[in-house]
Amino acid sequence: MKTKTASAAIAAVMLAGTALAGCSSGGSDSADGGKVTLSVWAMGDSSKPMEQMAAAYAKENPNVTVKVQAIPWGSAHDKLLTAVASKKGPDVLQMGTTWMPEFAAAGALADLTADLGSYPELAADHFFKGTVTSTQFDGKTVGVPWLAETRVLFYRTDVLKSVGYDQAPKTWDELLDASKKLTERGKDKYGIGLDPKEPTLSFMFARQNGAKLIEDNKAQFDQPQYRDTVAYLDSFFKNGYAPIDLGLDTSQTFGGDGMVPMFISGPWMIKTIKDQIPEIDGKWATAVLPSKENNMSSLGGSNLTVFNFTDHKAEAMKFISFLSKPENQLEWMKQTGELPANMKAWEDPQLSGDPNMSVVGEQLKNAEPMPLVKAWDNISQNFVKTFEQIYRANGNIDAQLKDFNAQSQQLLDK
Amino acid sequence: MKGPSRAAPYVFIGPTLILLAVFSLLPILVAVYISLTDMDLAGLANYSSIKFVGLQNYADVLGDPVFLLALRNTLFYVVIGVPLVIACSLGAALLINFGRSRAFKVFRVVYYLPSVTNVVAVAVVWSYLYNPGIGLFNYVLTSLGFDKVAWLTDPTIAKLSLILLALWRSIGLNMIIFIAALQGIDRSYYEAAQLDGASNWQQLTRITIPMMRFAIFFVSVTTMIGWLQFFEEPFVMTQGGPLNGTVSASLFIYQNGFQFSNFGYAAAGSFVLFFIIIAVTLLQLRLQRKQAEE
Repeated sequence: MKTKTASAAIAAVMLAGTALAGCSSGGSDSADGGKVTLSVWAMGDSSKPMEQMAAAYAKENPNVTVKVQAIPWGSAHDKLLTAVASKKGPDVLQMGTTWMPEFAAAGALADLTADLGSYPELAADHFFKGTVTSTQFDGKTVGVPWLAETRVLFYRTDVLKSVGYDQAPKTWDELLDASKKLTERGKDKYGIGLDPKEPTLSFMFARQNGAKLIEDNKAQFDQPQYRDTVAYLDSFFKNGYAPIDLGLDTSQTFGGDGMVPMFISGPWMIKTIKDQIPEIDGKWATAVLPSKENNMSSLGGSNLTVFNFTDHKAEAMKFISFLSKPENQLEWMKQTGELPANMKAWEDPQLSGDPNMSVVGEQLKNAEPMPLVKAWDNISQNFVKTFEQIYRANGNIDAQLKDFNAQSQQLLDK
Repeated sequence: MKGPSRAAPYVFIGPTLILLAVFSLLPILVAVYISLTDMDLAGLANYSSIKFVGLQNYADVLGDPVFLLALRNTLFYVVIGVPLVIACSLGAALLINFGRSRAFKVFRVVYYLPSVTNVVAVAVVWSYLYNPGIGLFNYVLTSLGFDKVAWLTDPTIAKLSLILLALWRSIGLNMIIFIAALQGIDRSYYEAAQLDGASNWQQLTRITIPMMRFAIFFVSVTTMIGWLQFFEEPFVMTQGGPLNGTVSASLFIYQNGFQFSNFGYAAAGSFVLFFIIIAVTLLQLRLQRKQAEE
């Protein structure tokens, strides 16, 4: 009998132990003796790059231990939901710019407005204007810009030359004209690759046409500037200038004789093209986007934020300020290929000396994040479906946009 | 020593009941409550911001054209998929059971393999097969002189493509159940029938199928429930596109719940699906009981 009670007691203790351990994992435990454990969630598949930064940081700050966890982008949203629900998460959190409003509205991100004063190196004027915009929510600063990316035009110089374009198209009209001429090269030839499933595509073009998207929390998608943009983009699909359902990826369509000799994408494609289609080296280039009223691009990337339920805000800020230093941003770029948001880092010859990168840098000066409302993810996904009704099912543009505008307004009013 | 204590049975079922209550019943009750509120991401972080909205979510979801389309798509999957799964797995089981050589044992494993393969790996391979430009299916069709088929890019054909994939994945498990049932049939029935001069076909329809009634019933109930919750295939292959042509009720719930964080709305959708599944299952049980009485 005695042994039974004892084993039951042991079992109970073990159970309780695992339960407690389960609760504290991922949270931040402060250890004794002034030693602080800082928990960091970095987005991506590998925790290595961040671990190396953490090791460098720990060398300068021996009283801090940095624990790094890598969160793959695909499962990050679910993981963040769990963290918010349980109020247990990291101290420092890398956050995609498009998710900022959603999680800021949920109160998951600490308000850094007052703290920034003590960190002059994190002042807004060190970073690209668009990246700073993405850290603002409700008049508060809830993050620090860290990585930046934006969309630029990729094109095959040799193929464009063959239809009379010595340079990349500079205006919307030229883009349409070049696409037409490129498509007329023959069967199975297209002008430009536009991904209709990319949620930022239409909004980015609409801004170039002077559309406001959302103003004073009122959806502006039924306005003529927006309507004309959708019609402009639709014409690429309707005329066969942009392929639908080709099922091939860029390495197959951009190489060779240039089945699709232009596309709009982010800076990561520079490395992809160099690695996968080295044979077209010297026959392609990047350019800033063609303009209508302006040529503003869409800005993405990620910010560093402090989780609202942390006990180590000061230490977290210190670590963030370490990561934001230009030399550390360049080190990060070397390891991951992700580009710095700190403008100082762009003066380094690694970036300023590379013609493709300087195009990206120039476009970054003229790029804005998507509207910072918490329903944005939902609105943009709805537009992907609305646009599909237009280009694939020949839906009436005015009727579709009227519905979409009403639907968006409903989401904004929530 | 007294006889077995009256508490003994409760001690035995206790752990199961507790686990069931904590991990199944309680979450269901919480979900019922969530479906009556406007819970979203902000509500998760701060419970005081959750508002009680009564049956509003149910009214909204039943009026949502995408949800109604998702229900229609689900019906399409069930009506075509379930009979196909039962017929194909029963057929495979009969054929494999027919042979006695070692090769048939190998095929039992071969047919079962798709069921144990990771769905993400399956999706990668099948999306290459279905690829409109460089896919194997279209390559074979064009080299035989046929037109290309829009496997995943036409709303109706995409549904059929996903059914084909799901069929391929689910034959194995049901086949094993059928083989087990087949081997449980007493040989003496067949010997008696053969003495009376019954043909193979007569033996199949008069002995095998009736004897397997319960296995067939079991497989049809589980398959029906599984297909009403059709999720993995559209989730990994099409994300519900094109034109919402492949979005199923479960996928709709997932997208609203975990992509857009409308937990209340998604919970309401999942209860609508829950009641449909309960209703269909009860109907099947009734039909089965009626048949058994005859």
